[in-house]
Parts: sequence; structure tokens; C-alpha cells
Amino acid sequence: MNTVKVLQVCVCVLILGQFLVSGAVPLDCKDDAGSRCASISQEKLLDRVIQHAELIYRVSEECCTLFEDMFVPYPLHVLINQAGNTCHSKHIPIPTSKSEIQQISDSWLLHSVLFLVQSWMEPLLYLQTTLDRYDDAPNALLSKTKWVSDKLLSLEQGVVVLIRKMLDEGIMASSTIFDHTQSPYDGQFPEVLESVIRDYHLLTCFKKDTHKMETFLKLLKCRQSNKLSCLPQ
Amino acid sequence: MLPSLSASDANKGPHLTGCRSSEQVTFRCWWSSGTFQNLSEPGALRIFYQTKALSSDWYECPDYTQTVKNECYFNKTFTRIWTSYCIQLRSVPQNTTYDEACFTVENIVYPDPPVGLNWTLLNVSRSGLHFDVLVRWTPPPSADVKTGWMSLVYQLQYRVKNNTYWEMQELESGTQQSIYGLHTDKEYEVRVRCKMSAFNNFGEFSDSVFLQVAQIPSKESTFPMALVLSFILIGVVILLIFIVISQQQRLMVIFLPPIPAPKIKGIDPELLKNGKLDQLDSLLSSHDMYKPDFYHEDPWVEFIQLDIDDPADKKNSDTQHLLGLSHSGSSHNLNLKNDDDSGRASCYDPEIPDPEDLASLLPNHSEQGEHQHSLVSRSSSANPDFQQESEVVETPIQTQPSWVNMDFYAQVSDFTPAGEVMLSPGQLNTSPEKKKKEEENEKKIQFQLVCDGAYTSETTARQFSADVPSSPGPEQEYQAFPTQGVEGNLWNGDYLVSVNDSQTPYLLLEPPPAPVLPPISDYTVAEPPSKSSFLAAYGLSAQPR
Repeated sequence: MNTVKVLQVCVCVLILGQFLVSGAVPLDCKDDAGSRCASISQEKLLDRVIQHAELIYRVSEECCTLFEDMFVPYPLHVLINQAGNTCHSKHIPIPTSKSEIQQISDSWLLHSVLFLVQSWMEPLLYLQTTLDRYDDAPNALLSKTKWVSDKLLSLEQGVVVLIRKMLDEGIMASSTIFDHTQSPYDGQFPEVLESVIRDYHLLTCFKKDTHKMETFLKLLKCRQSNKLSCLPQ
Repeated sequence: MLPSLSASDANKGPHLTGCRSSEQVTFRCWWSSGTFQNLSEPGALRIFYQTKALSSDWYECPDYTQTVKNECYFNKTFTRIWTSYCIQLRSVPQNTTYDEACFTVENIVYPDPPVGLNWTLLNVSRSGLHFDVLVRWTPPPSADVKTGWMSLVYQLQYRVKNNTYWEMQELESGTQQSIYGLHTDKEYEVRVRCKMSAFNNFGEFSDSVFLQVAQIPSKESTFPMALVLSFILIGVVILLIFIVISQQQRLMVIFLPPIPAPKIKGIDPELLKNGKLDQLDSLLSSHDMYKPDFYHEDPWVEFIQLDIDDPADKKNSDTQHLLGLSHSGSSHNLNLKNDDDSGRASCYDPEIPDPEDLASLLPNHSEQGEHQHSLVSRSSSANPDFQQESEVVETPIQTQPSWVNMDFYAQVSDFTPAGEVMLSPGQLNTSPEKKKKEEENEKKIQFQLVCDGAYTSETTARQFSADVPSSPGPEQEYQAFPTQGVEGNLWNGDYLVSVNDSQTPYLLLEPPPAPVLPPISDYTVAEPPSKSSFLAAYGLSAQPR
């Protein structure tokens, strides 16, 4: 048994050693309590964050489609496209053209993503409660909304860690710092049609913003991996 | 590139035919003047756009494409992603808006088709009939995939050339995909298109690429295979034949087992045909089937007493009981089971009757002929004569308490006035312990005998009634059972030899001298008994007449 254990330890050491040799920089993982946790390279963390963002975007698109099919009559689709500018995230000064985006710094990219993530925490909670109120809301929609809400939290944590490590900035991983006074979501119960329009508006805005997050993170990844080819052309 | 025009466009007035972006950096819009021919000149219709995020003003199209008719081009400075645009088609002189459309740019992205499609052969199957290919392509040059600005997914389609139906593959995020299971000697056409991931707008298809793999004739490789297989098969068949021939006997037993002839275990059918009575006795008595436990467990048997205090009654009732002359009408059946069948079922599972009831049925208690007690219930529809007589036949047999000493075969030697049958012993050659067993067997077989006799003794009964009128007196009315009839009826099996052969051992005429009842076997053969012997056998005093 002892020889087996020794062999196992050797194998583990070899594998971990390969990681070290490849030049990956493990993130120092220490909680406030000082306990060690599994370390992961920055590159891998960014990959995971991007995966999160991609998934969230895809699910948000599915939610939007589900809601659209169930509740929104076709003529109203046009209405929503018109209201695309009234998403609450317009208050966040995020560049909207490629050339502009390519010119902003990594720090600005990450901070934009963090702002976006944090701004959507409360609206998603509101969305969960309001979707529950519909009689025939499909279960897939409800579960997806809940799932997205949870995933957004972990995305926030990942981005916070990235900021801390890539930019060496300390930042609070709490969404309470976000200004909630702009939120129009008080405890009123609107009428059905009004509620439908509002919820659809929320979902489309969410879809847009998750796409933004995904794009920003991918641009960031490109910059991290290969500085030369990712420069603005 | 123009979007597809719907059929209804021709009847409409001026309208926007579509807006598209190919790389998410710029976009274009097209319109049509429709049926309004006067507006078809360039400049008659104009495009105005509004981006509410920046301002609520309407601006005119920044660039009307020179080379393409009715196209408005928004370059990268005028394009904002994640921003909704509203486009209006207006006729300025008349100041009318013919059409309006709102969208966000990422929702109108239709990527350019992939380029550089090529294929490589992966492998060909053994049979040479199928092959696999790997198809590769590059993303459209306009889409900025490298920086991550756009993430594309691709869809590959292929078909046999000139076929109408395209096979579709799954969406692929990489730039290559394999196709498996294509047929050689068929020409295939392959094409690819792409879209932004999690969006629904597929771009145009790429140029098709044709691929074909010639079939390699590989018949010679299959030939030895077929030969080998055939050889193996022949070998196996020969082996099977050998096995069958060598093990013929055993196989016959396994596959076609002999059908067992009906027989009793331990008894040789030949013995039954030609054997001695005592041998048969010992065999049958030792048989498990005939366990007359029932008899041991019947306490009421002991309670039945013969009471001969009343001579007058005795005189009349006994003969009457025996012969059933007194048609008292009430055949007092001790119905243990109240079912209407002829008593077949009840034969084998009789209940123990109330001793008092039975006692009350004794001749001394009854003034009329209501003594008919039997263990078997009878349907009243049966012939009363037959019933009574058969009951009479059975009753004495059953009520005899000392059946313990019975041999398997016995013969009736006398009748008591009470109507009981006195049996003479068979040839005894059994040991005491075996006797006990035999007794048990006898009891069982007696009961069965009785039951069988219940409905098979019709002949017997007839013979009874036939003989009765000719009897001179009550004493002499105890008829002998005709041996032929009894044997034939009491045991329906074929195991008993024909009467003529074994008649001799059955016809034992001497009465049992001892007061103790000698062992009486189940098979009874009636004999013309004499009255004195009858009584003496049962230890009864003679009736005072």
C-alpha cells in the first residue's frame, strides 16, 4: 500500500510540475480566514469567465424567445425594438462601436463588465418574482431566469478576482454599492399588458447586455493572449 | 447583396426591403419604390435614421451607395452596436413616410459565407464501399473572429450531386468537420454557412465543393473470406452429424423421452395380471396411497352399538334395513355434506358426524326404517331402492369398529341381523407391525371402496333387488354378492384380474369361528353366509324369535 501511495504522490507532483513549467501564473488563493484553496491560472480563470458569460448570454436569449413566444403578440415585437434605448444600463458609459471599444484599456473593459453584471442583479430578482405571477409562464422560463440569476453571481465573483489580479486593484464584490435609486421596480403590481411589455423590455435589455459582456471579455482574452494581433487595425 | 423579396412587394408602395450587417461594424439598408413608378428615380425616396440613445433627431442616410441602386450604407463611424436604430423611408417633396423599421445592429448581422473550403480523405472502409472525409474552411474575412469581436458557428451541408435533399450536420464552432459514411462512386456536393452564436441569422452559403472517391475493386480480399467461412460451416455441419450419430441413443432419450405407461410405483403390472393374492395384498397394503388414517380418527365408529334388545323391531328392521323392503320413505341420510352430487367428492373428505345423531339413527331408536346412516350423502333423486341397498351394503362395513385387523383383500362371509357384513379373512401372511399398516391401508381402501360402491354398485343393487323377492325369509335374505358384479363394480381399475381367474381364492366359505373379528380386507367378496355364522362372528347372541 505504501508504494502505491508513493506512486500516487509522484504522479501528482509530476502533473503539477508540468503546470509550473508551462509558465502559468497561479493565482494566490487565500480567503480572509487564511485557508488555502485550489489555485488556478489567470488564463484559465479568464477562460472560465468567458464560458460563464457565453452561457449566460445564450440562456438569456432563450428566455427572451420563450417569453416572446408565450406572451408577446407579434406586432409588439416592433415596439420593443424601438424601446431598445431605454435599458437602464444606458447610464453606464460603455462604448458601443468596435473602434471605440478596441481603443479602451483592459481596466476599462473589466470595469464595464463588472458594472453591467452588478446592475443586473436586482432586476433579475424582480424578473423572477414577476414571472411567477403569470399563470401560464413555462417552467423552463422560470428555471432559466433563476439559473441566470445564480450564474451572474458567480460571474461577478470571477470578474472581481480577475480585476484584483490583472489590474492589482482591490474592489468590493458586492452589488450593494450600485445605485438602486434608479430602479423603477417597486412593489406595485402593474396590469397584465403593461407587465408584459415591461418584462419583455427587461429581457431584451438583458440579452443585449449579456452580449456586451461576452464581447468585452473575448476582446480582453485576445489582448491577453496575443497582444500584437489584437491591436486595433 | 439584396435580401429576398417577398411576392407581395410588387403590389406595395415604397418600402424598406431590409437592413443587414455582415461584420457587426457597418450595415446597409435597401428599399424599393414598389408600384410607384414615379418614385423610382434616384433621390425621390430618402432614408432617415434616428438613434434615440444619442439624440431624437432624424438624420439622413450618410451614404447612398453609388454602384447599387436604392442602398444606404452606414460606415463604422455611424454604426453603434447595442443601440437601436429607427430607419424611415420618406419622400421629401411630399413629406410622407412610406415605411419605418427599428432594430439593433447585432440583431441584423448576417455573416459572410466561409471561404477556402477543401476536403481530405480520412479513410476508406474495408469493403471499399464507404469513406470518410474531413472538410476544412476558413472564416469569412470580413468577420473579425480573431479578436473575438464576433464568435461564429458553422453549419455544413452535403448531398449527392443533383439530389434535392441536403444532409445537415450539427453546428460547429471550429473551422473543420468530418463527414462519415459516404458512398464511393458517388459524387458529393458540400457547402458551409455561418451565423453568430446565439443569434438566428444565417449568412449565405459558401461555394460548393465536389468530392468523389473511386471505388477500389477489392473482390479478391472478399473471396478467401467467403471460402474460409464456407469451409468452417461445412466442418461444423460434419461435426454435428458425427455427434448425432455417435450419441444417437442418448439423444433419443433426451429429445424423445419415452412416455411412461400408467402404473403404480413399486408394482409390476405383470404381477397384477398373474400374481397371487397375498403378494398383491402385501404390495397394495404397503402402498402409501391407502392410508386409512381416517378410520382411526373416527371416534364415532366406536360409539355405534348394536342393540338387539327389541326383537320385534330387530326382526323387521334388520331385514328391512338390509333389503330396504320397508319403503318407509324417509331415508334418513346422515348428510355430512349437503351437496347434491352423488357423493363423489364427499367420499374423500367426510366430516365426523355427531355421535348422538348417529346413535339416534340406530335401529333401536327408530321405529320405522330410518336407520339409513351412511357416511356419504346421497342425492334424493337416486333410486330409493338403490340408495337403501347400497347404503346397507356400505353401512355395516363402515360401522365395524374392528377394521383394524383387516387384510387388504377380504370376503364377505356372513351378514349380521343388524345389517353388517361379516368378512372372512384373506390369506394372512403378514407380520403384526405390517398388519397395523395394512389395517390402515385397508381402512382407506375400504372407504374408497365404499364410495366407489356408492355409485358403482348399481349393478349390485339391481342384483340385490333381483335376489330379494326370491329369498325365502329374512334370514336367508342376506344375499351373496355376485362375485362378478362386485368385483367389477367395486374396483373399476383394470388391475384386477378377471373374475374367473381369481375366483377360487375369494370363495372362502368357512365362517370365522372366533368371536374376535378376524382381519377383513378391503375387497370384499360376498358369500352366501349362514345366519349362525354371521351372528357368531360378531359375538352376538341369537335373537329370540
